[in-house]
Amino acid sequence: MTEQVTAPRRPRWLDVVGILGIVALGCTVWLGLWITPPDVVQGNLARLLYVHPAVATVALYWAGGVAAGGSLLYLWPRTRSLFWDRLAASAVEVGAVFSALTLVTGSLWGRPVWGVWWTWDARLTSTALLLLLEIGYLALRRVPAELDVRAKRCAVAALLVAVDVPIVHFSVDWWNTLHQGGTILDPGFDLHVHGIMLWTMGLSFVAFTLVFVWLLGVRYQVEVLQDAVGDQELDVSLSERWSEDADLVSVTGGPAPYGSGGAA
Amino acid sequence: MSYVDAGYAAALGTMVVYAVTLVVRRRRWERALKMSEPAAEPAAEPDGAPVRGEPS
Repeated sequence: MTEQVTAPRRPRWLDVVGILGIVALGCTVWLGLWITPPDVVQGNLARLLYVHPAVATVALYWAGGVAAGGSLLYLWPRTRSLFWDRLAASAVEVGAVFSALTLVTGSLWGRPVWGVWWTWDARLTSTALLLLLEIGYLALRRVPAELDVRAKRCAVAALLVAVDVPIVHFSVDWWNTLHQGGTILDPGFDLHVHGIMLWTMGLSFVAFTLVFVWLLGVRYQVEVLQDAVGDQELDVSLSERWSEDADLVSVTGGPAPYGSGGAA
Repeated sequence: MSYVDAGYAAALGTMVVYAVTLVVRRRRWERALKMSEPAAEPAAEPDGAPVRGEPS
């Protein structure tokens, strides 16, 4: 099965989402750094919790969910379309960025609170494994193949990546970990955060979700364009060189010698 | 720089750098797609490869 690939349109809603994401992110930073009070126990370090849990949520649930869902929908014969494959691939790449950021922001919080940058805790280790699996997926995607073959093998790989998502989620319950359980809710759904701290945290989730949607949309467009150009990449490079030579002709007033490499 | 500042700088910096990278990649591929369209035409010429240095 092959699909005709054409240049994607730039949807207007994506620009709106991007602008909303920037505004929400700006408000989160303003509230998080200047308006919310320091925590009774953690002091100013609690301000990192307006970034880390939201970033981790995007990496784990949003990106992981889109990647797994897209891959399943591609593998399912009735819904098979390269749209799902490209969406899943885009989600994995954006998810890898957020996974890396989850580890970095968590480490920056862990150093002063736990006293270590890193520990082989179940939550941390499974998150690092998620990042490695995502990098593996992206490497697999670069292996040359027909679009359908690549899509199938990547869909299977994405499902393997998705196996790690519930492991990360339940790691704090299944093993005795240094990482705390629920940041906002405990298993009894009792709130741990209140007042303006809760609102700021809620806004941070909205902000990073909007940013994720925008990044996913742009990354998807890149994926479509890559496929559209595809095998013509060599032709494109050659025509770029020819157009460079053509520019030289218009400057020097005569045709560049064949094989001169455009020397002026 | 405190741990809090470093955390915010890492998060926002990464978002900005990745977003700019994606926009640049999109622009590059859009240009490549535009270039690929005229590139297909000379290939269909009966005398084979297009003449280099000839303005299009």
